[in-house]
Amino acid sequence: MADADEDVINTSSAGAAQMDTDLSDETQDFRLLSHLNFLNDSTSSSLPKRGEKDFEPNPTEFQADVLSASRQAMHNALAHPRIHNPKTWVIGFYAPDGPMPPPDHVDTAKTAGKGMGVSQDSCVYIPNAKGSTFQSIGQADRWNRLWLLPEEAIYMLERGNLDIRWPSASTAPAEDEEDDISIPMSLQAAYSCFMGHAGLTLERYSVYAALRRLGYTVLRAPAWDDSAKPYNTKTEMDIDAYTQPTHRGPGLGGILACISNWMSDPFSTASPAAGPLVGCGIHRSHNDVYRKMALIPWYDPALAPQKDPLDTTAPFRVVLHVYKPGTVIKKSAIPPPDFRIAVLSTREQTTIPTLPELSALLQSTPLDPPRGEKMERMMYMRVRHGYRNVVLAVVDQGVTSFLRVGDAAFGKEKLFAAKYAPRGTKKSGYSKPKR
Amino acid sequence: MDFQPTLPIPISFISGRYLLFSIDAVTYLRREHNTCGVLIGTLPQIPQQNVFLGLPLELMPEEARLLVDKGVACIVDEAKAQKDGMQSLLEEDRRQYLRELESQGLQAARIVAGRKEQQKEDYFKKSLEKKGKKKPNVQSKETSNGDPTASPTGPSTANDEPASLGDFFAGDSSSSRGTSNSTPNPQHTYGVTPTTSYPPLPHPSASSDAILSRPDVPLSYPLFAHMHTRGYFLSPGLRFGCQYVAYPGDPLRFHSHFLVVSAEWDQDINLMDIIIGGRLGTGVKKGFLLGGPQKEKPEDGSEIERTESVRTFSIEWAGM
Repeated sequence: MADADEDVINTSSAGAAQMDTDLSDETQDFRLLSHLNFLNDSTSSSLPKRGEKDFEPNPTEFQADVLSASRQAMHNALAHPRIHNPKTWVIGFYAPDGPMPPPDHVDTAKTAGKGMGVSQDSCVYIPNAKGSTFQSIGQADRWNRLWLLPEEAIYMLERGNLDIRWPSASTAPAEDEEDDISIPMSLQAAYSCFMGHAGLTLERYSVYAALRRLGYTVLRAPAWDDSAKPYNTKTEMDIDAYTQPTHRGPGLGGILACISNWMSDPFSTASPAAGPLVGCGIHRSHNDVYRKMALIPWYDPALAPQKDPLDTTAPFRVVLHVYKPGTVIKKSAIPPPDFRIAVLSTREQTTIPTLPELSALLQSTPLDPPRGEKMERMMYMRVRHGYRNVVLAVVDQGVTSFLRVGDAAFGKEKLFAAKYAPRGTKKSGYSKPKR
Repeated sequence: MDFQPTLPIPISFISGRYLLFSIDAVTYLRREHNTCGVLIGTLPQIPQQNVFLGLPLELMPEEARLLVDKGVACIVDEAKAQKDGMQSLLEEDRRQYLRELESQGLQAARIVAGRKEQQKEDYFKKSLEKKGKKKPNVQSKETSNGDPTASPTGPSTANDEPASLGDFFAGDSSSSRGTSNSTPNPQHTYGVTPTTSYPPLPHPSASSDAILSRPDVPLSYPLFAHMHTRGYFLSPGLRFGCQYVAYPGDPLRFHSHFLVVSAEWDQDINLMDIIIGGRLGTGVKKGFLLGGPQKEKPEDGSEIERTESVRTFSIEWAGM
C-alpha cells in the first residue's frame, strides 16, 4: 500500500498545472489528508495536491486496494475526535429559552432577556470566554457572559473550540448536584437544537461556516429575519422603481424634443424628423455625430431609487454581511460590510431569479460606484464592478456556489468620448479622438 | 472498516434536511449502498479550509428516500428525539455516560502526552546527531524534567516511552480513583465533544413516535433510482450545470461520466437546452445524459414500474 501512496504523491506533484484548478470542486482523496501531520500544525500549513483518479472501475485487486485505502483514510479523518485541552477548554451552556440573567440575579432583573444588550436569538452562553477565536463573535451581557447566536455556537463546537452543556433543567427533572451531571452536547444534538432556531437554515449555516473557515468575519444582516418589514412603507413608488427602471438617453421623448428643437431651429446640423439621424451639413466633431446617433434608451443604476434592505422578499434579501479577513470590527461600531450575501436553496428556488427579483435585491444594497485610479483607467473593470452589487450564495444540497451580481451601466460608458478607450487590433475603423 | 451498523440506520431530519452524523453509518452506506452524500461540516483537525470537510453528511431527499425504500434507513425527527431522549434519560445512565466520556478524555490525554514525548525525543535525537557539543545541555534539561531513565548518550525510545507513559497512567488512575464521581481532574483529563448522541440516548426504535414517513422527492426521482440501481454514484450537480453528476464508481477514485438531467416523457424540450447540455458535457469530457420514465403519472403504474420504465439518452458532440 505504501507504494501506491508514493505513486500518488509523485504523479500529482509532477503535474503542477493541476494546482490551478479549484480543489474543492471535486471529491478529494482523503488519503492525501493523512499525509498532513495534524499535531505539528506549524509545519503543515499547505494543502495537499489532488490525487490520481481512474476512468472506470475494473476488477483488479490493485484498484480495490487503493479504493479501500482511500475509504479507510476518509474514515479515519472523519472519525477524528473533538478533544479539549484543559488549558484551552471553554465550556458554554445551552439556554433554550433565550438570554436570561444568571439564576442568582433573577429577582433584580425581572425583565428577562430584554435590556441585556444581547440579541434575543442567542441561545448559548459562555461564563468565561478565553482565546482569540471568541473575539469576533458573540455579545457580552453585563454579567460578563458571552452570548452566542446559534450559528456561532454550532461553528465553534464543530471546530472543536467549544464544549456546550445541556442545561440541567432539560436533562434532569430535579437534582441536588447540578454541576455534576451537565452532559456535553454532541455535534448531532447541537445541530438538531440550534438549526431552525431564529431563522437559521442549514443553507445559511453552510454559507456562514464556509466563509468563516476561510477567515472572513460574518455577521447577520438586518434582513436576516424573513418577516422583518420596514417601519415606513412607501409601496407604490417602489413598484414603479423596478417595473419601469429609470431610463436615460433620448427615447421617444428625446426624439420628440429633437423635433421641437428642429421646429424652433430648422437650420441646425441635424434634422431627425425629416431625414436621416445625422443630417447633411458640416460636422466638425465625431462626438457630436455619435451623440446624435445615441437613440436607444438605457438604464442608469446610479439613478435607481434606494430601497430599505427590509423591503424585500425572501429569499432575495441580504441575510449576511461579510468582512474581509483582518478587518477590525468593534462590536459597538460595526463598519459597512465588504460583501452582502443572499442565500438561496436550490430545492426551494428552482428557477433562475427574475429581473424584478434581482432588481429589488440590488436596490436594497447601497450605491457602490467604481472608484479609484485603476477603475478610471480600465473600462471593462468598471462595467464589471457595476454600481451596486450583491453576492448570491446558491446552496445545492450542501454544495455551495457564490455568484456576484453587479448592476452594470453600459450606457454610462461613452466609447467615443472615452479617454482610455480600449483599442482593438484592427487598424481601421475606430480611432482615438485627438485632443 | 467492515463495520456493520444496526439497521435501519437513523437519518436525522433537521430543519427540512437529511443528515448523518455517525461515521460508521457514512462509511457503511458508501461501501454497500453507493450513497456518498455531501460532507458539510468542519474538520476539527484542520478547520481553516474548505477542501476537506467533515461530518455531518447531507443526503439528498432522493438518497434518503431510496435508503428508506430499501429498508436500510429510517427518518428520525432529531430535534424531538433529542429533547425527549434527554428528558427521559435516567440519572444512572447519565452518570455512566459521563464516566465513559471521562475515560475517553483520559485516553486522549495519554495519547497526546505520549505523542509529545515522542516529539521531544525526536527533537533531542536530532539535535544530538547534529551537534555532539550540545550533549551537556540536553542532559541538564532532561534531568530537570525529572526523567531519570533518559540517558544522555542515546535516549532510546524503547526505554524511555513506557516509563514516562507508565508514570502518566499511574498518576491518572490514582487521581480519578480519589475523586471518583465528581468533576474530572482538569490537570489530566481532556474534554470530549462526542459526534453523535447515541449513546447516551438509546437507538431509536421503529415504533418510536419520532420516526417520520418517507421523504418527498422531486419528479426526477425515477431517473435517480434507475441510475443508482445500475451502480452509479450520484451527487448534486447544479455546480456543473446539471441535476446530478453520475460517477461509475466511488467518486474518491473515479471521474464522473455523465451530467444527468431528468425530463418527463411528453415534456417539450428546448432544442437549445440539448445543444447547451451536449456542448457543456463534451467540454468537460462527460456525456450529457437526458432521461425520464415513460410512465409519467403516478396512476400510470407503481413507483417501481415507473423506475423500470426509465429510458436514458446520452448526447455527445461527435464532430472531430
